[in-house]
Amino acid sequence: MLKVAIVGCGKIADSHASQIQRVKGCEIVGVCDREPLMAKQLYERFPVKQYFSDLTTLLSEAKPHVVHVITPPESHFDIAKICLEWGCHVYVEKPFAISESQARRLIALANERGLKVTAGHDDQFSHVARRMRTLVQSGFLGGAPVHMESYYCYELGRSGYAGALLSDKNHWVRRLPGKLLHNIISHGVARIAEYMTSASPQVLAYGFVSPLLRGLGESEIIDELRVIISDEERTTAYFTFSSQMRPALHQFRVYGPKNGLVLNQDQETLIKLRGPRYKSYVEKFLPPAMLAGQCLENLGTNLRRFLVKDFHMKSGMKYLIESFYRSIVEQTPVPIPYREILLTAKIMDAIFAQLPMEGSQPQQRLTSAVNTLVV
Amino acid sequence: MQSDTLLISPDDLILITGAAGFIGSRLVENLLDGGYRNLRCFARPSSAGGRIEALSDLHRDRARIEVFKGNLLSPEDCAAATKDVAVIFHLAAARGEKSFPDAFMNSVVTTRNLLEASLLHGCLLRFVNVSSFVVYTNMQKPTWRLLDESCPIEKHPAQRGDAYCFAKVKQEEIVTEYGKKFGLPYVIVRPGYVYGPGNEGITGRVGIGTFGVFLHLGGSNRVPFTYVDNCADAIALAGLKQGVDGEVFNVVDDNLPSSRQFLRLYKRSVERFRSIYVPHALSYGLCYLWELYSKWSEGQLEPTFNRRIWHSYWKKSRYSNAKIKMRLGWMQKVATQDGFRRYFEACRRRVQSA
Ligand SMILES: NC(=O)c1ccc[n+]([C@@H]2O[C@H](COP(=O)([O-])OP(=O)(O)OC[C@H]3O[C@@H](n4cnc5c(N)ncnc54)[C@H](OP(=O)(O)O)[C@@H]3O)[C@@H](O)[C@H]2O)c1
Repeated sequence: MLKVAIVGCGKIADSHASQIQRVKGCEIVGVCDREPLMAKQLYERFPVKQYFSDLTTLLSEAKPHVVHVITPPESHFDIAKICLEWGCHVYVEKPFAISESQARRLIALANERGLKVTAGHDDQFSHVARRMRTLVQSGFLGGAPVHMESYYCYELGRSGYAGALLSDKNHWVRRLPGKLLHNIISHGVARIAEYMTSASPQVLAYGFVSPLLRGLGESEIIDELRVIISDEERTTAYFTFSSQMRPALHQFRVYGPKNGLVLNQDQETLIKLRGPRYKSYVEKFLPPAMLAGQCLENLGTNLRRFLVKDFHMKSGMKYLIESFYRSIVEQTPVPIPYREILLTAKIMDAIFAQLPMEGSQPQQRLTSAVNTLVV
Repeated sequence: MQSDTLLISPDDLILITGAAGFIGSRLVENLLDGGYRNLRCFARPSSAGGRIEALSDLHRDRARIEVFKGNLLSPEDCAAATKDVAVIFHLAAARGEKSFPDAFMNSVVTTRNLLEASLLHGCLLRFVNVSSFVVYTNMQKPTWRLLDESCPIEKHPAQRGDAYCFAKVKQEEIVTEYGKKFGLPYVIVRPGYVYGPGNEGITGRVGIGTFGVFLHLGGSNRVPFTYVDNCADAIALAGLKQGVDGEVFNVVDDNLPSSRQFLRLYKRSVERFRSIYVPHALSYGLCYLWELYSKWSEGQLEPTFNRRIWHSYWKKSRYSNAKIKMRLGWMQKVATQDGFRRYFEACRRRVQSA
């Protein structure tokens, strides 16, 4: 029986606990939070053996094989490091670490100790993402991707999360190098990283504070971001994060030399885009009919999955957890190659390094960045 | 109020948490109207503070109203806010929060911080914990029986599938624990559904609009309404009257309408919409099925509807305000008819501006 522990008992801990309990061959031996009441409430609601408010007590008493680190991002590195030093495999929620250098150090430590780590990029393991991966691997695109577009949006309104974040000048999100973006964009960036082959793509980023946030007196939380990523001039990608555009898309488009694919995360649909065109008016009538057919097919797939109780909102997380545990027990490769975790962190570092922080002029920066690229 | 039966004098410091909220802002008004001159209003920096600031301006010459900006999650803020306080009216809570950890954090961790801070100063005479009807289980009780303060509270609040219920039960637990362990003087107030301008939704006890059409689930049930000003009045009394430490008080108005009567009035006064009546046996069956499906599917659908929630929300019950009338001398100041008139007006304005 694989012994699992959870460190950090906030909102996302519920998803982890409920998906872990669906995975066979494991048990949650302990949960831990600096705030004992938070640890206790998770312990009371899920089948958990013990609760702790101190990390080393958890590690020494519950002796977990795997630890899920789901604390605020700025603590990921330190906590994951301690867990690795105690001989535990580690699942770290996104963003894996605050910087590429931190990510590199964690992976090196894991390798040194013969342990495994993974990042919480669970969106990449939803049913639809797995269908896309299978198609790409089967050669549907007709070669390496030529271009990709990843949209990862977030609806920020005047209340809720935005309200709390805007009013609290000490909110932990503000302490992250990429602030709000740092906490959100890794899912969308990781999708691009999966299909990039070079280890150091060029990154050109443009970000600004939306008029909505500016109107609320905010000057440092950038919530609009456009990025161009270029992989040695072979594969390119656009990444878009927006808090204001509607619909707030979570989409990934990938175009190969022959065909393309469009993944819609919210609706869990995958649409195949045919490269070749039909002649004359046939192009106007047949493809729309085929598109309608594809939509129906997606509907059927989703319904079927739902009926066989395999369509949970967090099914990607369950799949990732299951695959990670299997890689530990059966000594097989980890579900997310370390190359992808590092590349995601590297692209994010490059984005944040270019963003205007407090008071600088985004427009000037864009112009100079464009010049750099053109030259 | 007779001054010889009161716990504090008009100049003693009173702390109100959740002061910028729906009920909190009315409580501040109520205390000012009652002649209390030294109020500390706790609000988060993000709270809409306009109402308290307006009150503060209005009562500038007669009262000292301090708006304390902070977060009850911070023990330091709690320590500073509770200094020299004689009575705490604790209304802050995560109402409407769907996530269990968030609801818990902003209702229970906050309450613990406040209790700890109060012990630190040692000057507190009363801690009024504002709870809710959601804490009652209502399970092992025959239909139409009276739900009063003696009824049991939910033993397995996590199984209700409602983060707010879980948090409020745990909040009460921690208050009573501090009462027992440290002799902290507390009173618990459990309002029914508080309505009025500022809370214009239709309570789930009447029905739900989640599935595109309004499902009317309440039928002939009485709805435990209390108009916001009446509720604020009850909370104020619970903090000010002597000799009620450790007591629990339910707050509901007189002449409660049935769910059907309410819905008819709402449609006539605010807006027309289609609703489908779901008889009690059917709604019970559907809740049970949902519960079974949620379990069988390992949570593919969250257990939002289940038998516990049915018993709490949609089982026929009678309610009583006898205890609060007798022990605190509470009387319904705003008649139910007037309350609904003001509430429907606010609803109409909201519908028009939408
Ligand atoms: N409304 C009802 O029908 C009803 C019925 C029964 C019982 N109650 C109880 O009555 C009390 C007041 O309810 P309400 O209807 O007035 O709700 P409300 O309008 O949502 O007010 C709750 C207040 O709590 C504040 N708060 C939440 N977390 C906080 C934190 N961490 N630190 C400081 N303040 C925090 C909120 O601040 P922000 O303004 O910054 O969000 C808000 O002002 C609650 O305890 C509720 O459970 C209400």
